[in-house]
Amino acid sequence: MKDKQFWSVAGTIFVLFMIYWFLGHPHFVVERAVMFWAILVVGGVLIYSTRMAQRGEKIFLRSIPGLKAVEEAVGRSTEMGKPVLYVPGIMDMDQVETVAGVVVLGHVAKMTARYETSLNVPVSRAIVMKAARESCRESYLIEGRPDLFHDDMVHYLTDDQFAYAAGVNGIMLREEPAACLYMGKFYAESLLLAETGNSIGAIQIAGTASPSQIPFFVTACDYTLIGEEFFAASAYLSQEPELIGGVKGQDYLKMIAITMMVLGAVINLFHDLGWISWDILGYLTVQ
Amino acid sequence: MFFKRQLPIAIAATIGFLTLFGWFVDEPVIKSFVDDDATQWFDILASFAMFLGALNLLKMQALKVVKQQKGWPYAALAIAGFMFSFTAGFILLGSYNVEISQYDDPAKVATVLAAEINLDQKSAENILIAMPEGDTYLIETPYFTKKGADKVVAEINAAGGMANMRATEWGSHISTRGSLFNWMFRFIFTPLSATMFALLAFFVASASFRAFKIRNFEATLLLISGIIIMLGRVPIGGHISAWFILYIVVLALGAGVNSYWKDRTYTLVAVVGGLLMVTIAGFIMGWPVDQPAIFYLPVLQDWIYNNPNVAGARAIMIGIGLGIFATSIRYILGIEKSYIGE
Repeated sequence: MKDKQFWSVAGTIFVLFMIYWFLGHPHFVVERAVMFWAILVVGGVLIYSTRMAQRGEKIFLRSIPGLKAVEEAVGRSTEMGKPVLYVPGIMDMDQVETVAGVVVLGHVAKMTARYETSLNVPVSRAIVMKAARESCRESYLIEGRPDLFHDDMVHYLTDDQFAYAAGVNGIMLREEPAACLYMGKFYAESLLLAETGNSIGAIQIAGTASPSQIPFFVTACDYTLIGEEFFAASAYLSQEPELIGGVKGQDYLKMIAITMMVLGAVINLFHDLGWISWDILGYLTVQ
Repeated sequence: MFFKRQLPIAIAATIGFLTLFGWFVDEPVIKSFVDDDATQWFDILASFAMFLGALNLLKMQALKVVKQQKGWPYAALAIAGFMFSFTAGFILLGSYNVEISQYDDPAKVATVLAAEINLDQKSAENILIAMPEGDTYLIETPYFTKKGADKVVAEINAAGGMANMRATEWGSHISTRGSLFNWMFRFIFTPLSATMFALLAFFVASASFRAFKIRNFEATLLLISGIIIMLGRVPIGGHISAWFILYIVVLALGAGVNSYWKDRTYTLVAVVGGLLMVTIAGFIMGWPVDQPAIFYLPVLQDWIYNNPNVAGARAIMIGIGLGIFATSIRYILGIEKSYIGE
């Protein structure tokens, strides 16, 4: 969208919303207004950063060892003549981590197509199987190697958590992949998978936003993408300016969040000391 | 191209905006869509996709068996397991109950009943006698086959009682305790799942061993925190005096002084001075086990758990939250299209 079009659309939405607001904003849950404005600010900052990146602004993206290692892992598999195992978590496509996992799979599939390395993607949800398969198919097509793609490289095992872990562990022990990548949403099976991968000597890279599973992956894997690094993976691997712009937007938002936290703490201190009557905690608490 | 590119992005954007902003609107239709309908649509789609998954599983395993690939007996077992579950769920009802309504001689009927419910003759007889007039007694454990239930009915009738067979309704046979499907779930599936889960205990031990190896400053910090947390959370931790920990701290301080200045005099002064100070303080305070509180393991572990640990976890959570929101916005606005293969 060009600048003029963008500002026209944004302006129209803003004017319509203002008219709605001054008409008494019927049906609007006023108690949640803080969250609403926060979403608008966060969304606005992200869109601004993305547009700046699209307009050619130079953005520095720090090197993420875990993502640099993905290509290294695929290369190692190629040298050893062994497959790459990719596990996109155990949850369905309604989880943003699973979607992020499928997105990263697309980039990994491009690498395996380029290096002519076999890729094995066992999944635990049928919808994820379809999405992951399409993503891999497109990647092989883009790399000009549709002949190397076959539907069964993405295959369904089971919906059950531990049965899935048993199935993936079985694949690891039988096929001995040289690289195991775990990108998605994980629960207790994370350590079962990562320790088995470790026992076969595979290079292991994990990425998840499940805080309770991060320590397990850090312990058992060679590289771990912690939290937001995982969501930045697509930007890093594709080097698309608009995606990198989004990552910069997140940094702006972190700065805003830190400022708000410090300000909030000071204002709350003033309130506790009785210097001001405005209870910021009550205002910020979402109903 | 329209159906593979623009349409999915348009659907994702519309539903995304509706779900995001629906939370701020107090309108029953939108609320019911966001809270119920949207998730039900997802469940319906997932149910259809399940067939694709099951077919894919069967195809993959069958190919392994046919081609006699490595580990093909496991594939054969997977197919057999699938077929058994399918049969127990969709083809065989596997749940038939027997109901006793009348009897002439309780002792004779009790002989049959006792064998069926694994009780002695007298207890079975008491059950029948205690049965109110006009009421029925249901043998709780169902029979897997109709033939088995019919056989028991015939035996009870031959003993002078009146019994009839009642089949469980289709659908509820899955959750009926004692049905074939339920038996499979309780006695095959649950123990297998528990076995996999139990493996975690061993993997945690091997992973901890690697994590706690002293390689660098961070790993040492992790080791010390781990020991404090583990000891502080078990009863023995409460019996370790804070003064003992203080002595260890003084010795560790001595090691630090030695590695920094590499001078024996400095090290001696730090260690002896520290030990003397702790001992004098101990005599003055009367050596209470839990004082000074910051060196008492249960208090120390609580502080580590609730302060440095929570601070680190919250920093990660804020990053994750921003990452999730940014990623969602990218999908909703159609900036990120990799999930449809672009």
